[in-house]
Amino acid sequence: MTTSLYRLDDFDALDDEAFRALARAFLKEHYPQDLRNPPKRLHWDEIRCWYMTLSAHGWLAPGWPRTHGGMGLSAAKQLIYMEEFEQFGAARMPDHGIMLLGPLLIRYGSTAQQQEFLPKIISGEHIWCQGYSEPNAGSDLANVQTRAVLDGEHWVVNGQKIWTTLAQDADWIFMLVRTDPAARKQEGISFLLVPMNSPGVTVRPILNLEMQDEFCEVFFDDVRVPRENLVGEINKGWSMAKALLGFERIFLGSPRQSANALERLKVLAQHVGCWTEPVFRDRYARLALDLADHKALYEHFADILRAGGQLGPDISFLKLHQGELYQRITELMLEIGGEAAAGLEPINGNRDLNPAGQFLAARASTIYGGASEVQRNILAKNVLGLPG
Amino acid sequence: MTITAERLEGARMIRESAAGIADRGDVGRTRKLRFSETGFDRQILKEMCDLGWLGLRLPESDGGSGLGMVEMCALAEELGAAIVPEPLIPAALAVRVLAEPERTAALEGRLVVLPAFQEQAADPDAAPATSVQQGRISGRKLFVPSPRGADAFVVTSREGSFLVRSDAPGLVIEAVTMQDGSHSGTLVFNDAPAEKLPGRLEDGLDDACLATAAYLLGLADAVLERTVAYLKVRKQFGAVIGTFQALQHRCVDLKLQAVLARVSVEDAARIADTNVGIDERRAAVSRAKARASDAALLVARQAVQLHGGIGFTDECDIGLYLRKAMVLAPAFGGSAFHRARFAALTFGDSAEASPAPARTA
Repeated sequence: MTTSLYRLDDFDALDDEAFRALARAFLKEHYPQDLRNPPKRLHWDEIRCWYMTLSAHGWLAPGWPRTHGGMGLSAAKQLIYMEEFEQFGAARMPDHGIMLLGPLLIRYGSTAQQQEFLPKIISGEHIWCQGYSEPNAGSDLANVQTRAVLDGEHWVVNGQKIWTTLAQDADWIFMLVRTDPAARKQEGISFLLVPMNSPGVTVRPILNLEMQDEFCEVFFDDVRVPRENLVGEINKGWSMAKALLGFERIFLGSPRQSANALERLKVLAQHVGCWTEPVFRDRYARLALDLADHKALYEHFADILRAGGQLGPDISFLKLHQGELYQRITELMLEIGGEAAAGLEPINGNRDLNPAGQFLAARASTIYGGASEVQRNILAKNVLGLPG
Repeated sequence: MTITAERLEGARMIRESAAGIADRGDVGRTRKLRFSETGFDRQILKEMCDLGWLGLRLPESDGGSGLGMVEMCALAEELGAAIVPEPLIPAALAVRVLAEPERTAALEGRLVVLPAFQEQAADPDAAPATSVQQGRISGRKLFVPSPRGADAFVVTSREGSFLVRSDAPGLVIEAVTMQDGSHSGTLVFNDAPAEKLPGRLEDGLDDACLATAAYLLGLADAVLERTVAYLKVRKQFGAVIGTFQALQHRCVDLKLQAVLARVSVEDAARIADTNVGIDERRAAVSRAKARASDAALLVARQAVQLHGGIGFTDECDIGLYLRKAMVLAPAFGGSAFHRARFAALTFGDSAEASPAPARTA
């Protein structure tokens, strides 16, 4: 274990502003300068150094309890951690093990599973990917068709996952599999841990609209997995995975993405010469006001978490508005960018003048994490109380 | 910058006390007062005064309650949810600059004093050309709310704010009827006698603007609430129309705008009650008014659509909300004005491209 100025026994002994200052200092001292605000999702070989730095200083898992190697931060400090990392332009890591699997194992896993897997997430030995979506289970996620059948002491897995982020970099996958085809949709699903190097696992990267390969298809052909790799109760995987979708839902609505895009819209407007033009000005002002009110909405939900409360179904408003605002900003970029905006590379090779890249990147924001249409369904039923 | 639990509790109690006068479930009183002589009920305005609402923002030493914009917005929101016709927000603006004995008379509801400050359409901030010489005022004021119900006006001028009685010689009041059944006045002063007041009416304009935003927020929430309730009972094609996804998604989009209006108004109220620079305060007020004006108009006109044919009739109450939104969305500056003011205050450069937010003494 490295001795570190930043490794504290009790982060919650600091007041929030002191913790914020500590996070800022930590990033300034340790974050690799050339990886700030990367224009794409980084692969493991590019971001490994930062993962290991966080690990060495005990800063990798803000939400995990200290007994499992986490920072044990309060909700308020977890928000500060996220805000400061975003503000600094720290790249997103392959964090599915930290953000999703860890909390799930801590809550539902056996002691043996916790002892086996949690330390290896913290050490960087295991990088995890998430196997939830399938070709016919996207917005309708409960329609999982990948089967796992018990054969002696092994589960035999057959099927296909898709949109699996950075599967090509992962050592393990945690996945939803159907273990009872006869049960009602949500009730026959289990939660299984599978090594990516198992015979019968095939990974095929997908080139997305940004010409990046961060998503993959993962195929399972008679993949044999030890029986003890099933987490929690059999056929309870759906409710376990869903119960974990609490706190994290605020992250999908963070104003940072739109705030960065709005700054780049200004840079682009200055470059093309329309920054002081009144019609552009009014359209920019609309977006700036939308962003300001979005920040207020984010703070409204953050206040609930800081006070120890739970997020309700209305958190979907935040995700919905963030995705669509981000898109509108980038649509105006494309419009004012004119002919040059359709280039494959940023204008003049300047990363801040990249209307096409931003426009295309924003297409995903209304699809991932529950498409906007699904968010509207949820809000209509659970917030407005509309029937059906 | 958080508001204490004690103040939130106070705001909640104000909301509760408002329910007695402002019944969001029954807008029959509002309907009856449309197109009447003054457009509002003076007795109800007096009851509002008795509840301390007129002097909510006045210091206790001046006979008020010494409360902030958090409380004022809570009250205004309840008034908007019931679309009450009494001009409490303009009257609360005027009372802040009155001197005795008029201040006490106004606070007790015996004297109705309303503000007259605007001289240019769509620009409530423009400096006045109205002038006063030797106690006589001359000039022209536009868009004075409910002028037929006023006993006196607080009038802005190059020389400061003045009190002018509504029966003063040299004052001509031309009132036009507005869509919501109230009146809007053009006041022409021709050497009318005027008494100098100690304060500047302009200093309270942002508070009145923010309170109007809160009123529009309450209006938007209430008309959406009614519309969603209607969608849960109205049947067509053998189904409750609220089960149709196209209508569900539209309602969600309307609610999103109402939610944004709420956080915007609440944020602005908090900022207004904090010691911040004047520009930050004004930018927050502009943000809230731009959002609330657009949200109220959007929700109210979509409410007509979602009600179908009945929504297009005058007997349906939905029209009352729409017409009130039409009148108040531009009051104290509409969304275009406030977007431009927000831009000029926050973008920091190229002020020549935006209307200058001149508010000079």
